[in-house]
Amino acid sequence: MIIELREFTRVEGNGKAEIVIENGEVKDVRLKIIEGPRFFELLTLGRHYYDVPDLEARICAICYLSHSVASVLGIERAFGVEVPEEIALIRELGLIGELLESHALHLYLLVAPDVFGYPDAIRMATKHGELVKEGLALKAFGNRIRVMVGGREIHGINVKPGGFGRYPTVEELERVEKESEALLRLARRAVRLFAQLDPYGAQARHFVATDGYLWGEKLVSDEEGAFHYTERIEERSLVYSFAKQSRYKGETFFVGALPRLLLKSEMLTPAAKRLFEEHREKLETGYVSYNNLAQAIELVYSLERANEIAKTLLDRGIEGENIPVEPREGEGIGYVEAPRGVLIHHYRIDASGKITYSNIITPTALNHAMMEASLLEEARKLYGEAEEQAMIGRLEETVRAFDPCISCSVHLVKL
Amino acid sequence: MMDKLRLGVFELTDCGGCALNILFLYEKLFDLLEFYEITEFHMATSLSEENHYDVALVTGTVSTQRDLNLLKEARNHSEYLIALGTCATHGSVQGSVELPIREKLKAVYGDDGNPMRALDSKPVVEYVAVDFALPGCPYDKNEVYQVLMDIAKGIEPVRKDYPVCVECKLNEYECVLVKKGLPCLGPITYGGCNAACIRSGLGCIGCRGPLPGEVNPASEYEILKDLGYDDEYIIRKFKTFARWEP
Repeated sequence: MIIELREFTRVEGNGKAEIVIENGEVKDVRLKIIEGPRFFELLTLGRHYYDVPDLEARICAICYLSHSVASVLGIERAFGVEVPEEIALIRELGLIGELLESHALHLYLLVAPDVFGYPDAIRMATKHGELVKEGLALKAFGNRIRVMVGGREIHGINVKPGGFGRYPTVEELERVEKESEALLRLARRAVRLFAQLDPYGAQARHFVATDGYLWGEKLVSDEEGAFHYTERIEERSLVYSFAKQSRYKGETFFVGALPRLLLKSEMLTPAAKRLFEEHREKLETGYVSYNNLAQAIELVYSLERANEIAKTLLDRGIEGENIPVEPREGEGIGYVEAPRGVLIHHYRIDASGKITYSNIITPTALNHAMMEASLLEEARKLYGEAEEQAMIGRLEETVRAFDPCISCSVHLVKL
Repeated sequence: MMDKLRLGVFELTDCGGCALNILFLYEKLFDLLEFYEITEFHMATSLSEENHYDVALVTGTVSTQRDLNLLKEARNHSEYLIALGTCATHGSVQGSVELPIREKLKAVYGDDGNPMRALDSKPVVEYVAVDFALPGCPYDKNEVYQVLMDIAKGIEPVRKDYPVCVECKLNEYECVLVKKGLPCLGPITYGGCNAACIRSGLGCIGCRGPLPGEVNPASEYEILKDLGYDDEYIIRKFKTFARWEP
């Protein structure tokens, strides 16, 4: 017998799952990504590097800036270009805006309705209007930063190899400094709310993240030594899904907010670090559902860090100079922490600046196998115990905890 | 009080941005909800019980059989269907990958391809008649707000009929094509974005698709050639969002 879950709601993109029952037991789970393939690697082939970050931004609306930045980092590394601190800080600020916008969307509008038993945030607002408003305030702030750094709320064009089209102004940075402080109270409240939830899903055994907090030169894991993705991560095609699956040394692994906290807690800002320590025991169990709590702690981190960056930039003043970029033959990998985990853009570029090879691996593709493992575990726990409707609801929540970005996941891979 | 209009949001294959942009209306979304009841919106609600919509917003390209079925369902059960965003109106970037679908699948998924049924990504307007088309990658959220308000008040929404340059001039931005020699498609692209790219000092990438009528793509082509861009580069630029043959 096969129990087919309807298409997931309150997730980005189109996907569903099947639970295979044999002799009264849950035998298997298949996570089917049914969003059509989008072929972004093919789109970039033969293109001039300068246009590529804008195109790659279109992979995803929720995390377009992560894609632009990963793309820019890959291109700059291929050309051997290094940018000064000012440009790096503004990029980081942009990624923080994205983290705030994306986590607030996920926690307040997509997950909170489960916590309070509503089908959506609009209907939840009748009784919990304050909470919905708080979420929207955080989200709007994140979006204002995205407009400032990226040029638009969705699919901005301002992040370029070597710098930006337009640099933030003093007034804009002062506003970021002020607002990030004012919103901190709301983020702390979110941590209290999501700390109350009981764990569900599987306990992840392997965690992977970038070596810096929001981007890196390489990846790190729970094992010793930083590494390139090609050394330990393998992808394969599935017959039932447009997203590929990845394994870390042959096993399932987890990328996202929880892995970031567990692997990089020493890089956190003061209040975020205290909250991490307070909830460390819980988080270290590795239950995928604690990704929600980890995201709430990252809201605190993001606001503190945005404040720090705005202060630093205001103190030193903005020069607004781009670094000249000259194409040369080369290969580069950009590693970024998109809100939902590690994002990889890998390019080879020829001497005239045209892309000759491109490989993009998104967090949802990296988590695909872990999502299936979590569904299997949860289905085994609940099948025969809970009502079918309750089971299906919990399975949907299990997928939702990963904050999957299905649109992103459907075009990956090698050429 | 008058009954609210039933609004459905249908998401085909895309980046999710056109659906997300509706949530980015924030307090204006609550203004819309005075006139509309959202009865289908996959990304935002688990409810889905209606099968009749006064207004259906359809985003994305038709890239699978599922997309096509969903589009037909939306068309058959709605009074007023809006193709929302450049994927739905012109195919956008994913529609611009030019290879037979079988070769594309093979290139990305390996030698055996993928046994799932995929279609070449095409805009909604190639499959069904639409009552209104609102382009943009992404579209301007204030524009969709205005269109939905117009419909609620019984006014036929107005389609913009001027190029990006008009809004660029109204904002008094410096012309990046003339002054900086950047490839800017502003003169031949549908306005309505408030010249977002030129605000950043960058050229218009044409994400709202070509403005039909009196614009002159041949002269834009010549200008870009004079600036030193090669044929292949210019043709690709023209084709990227709207599969437009210059």
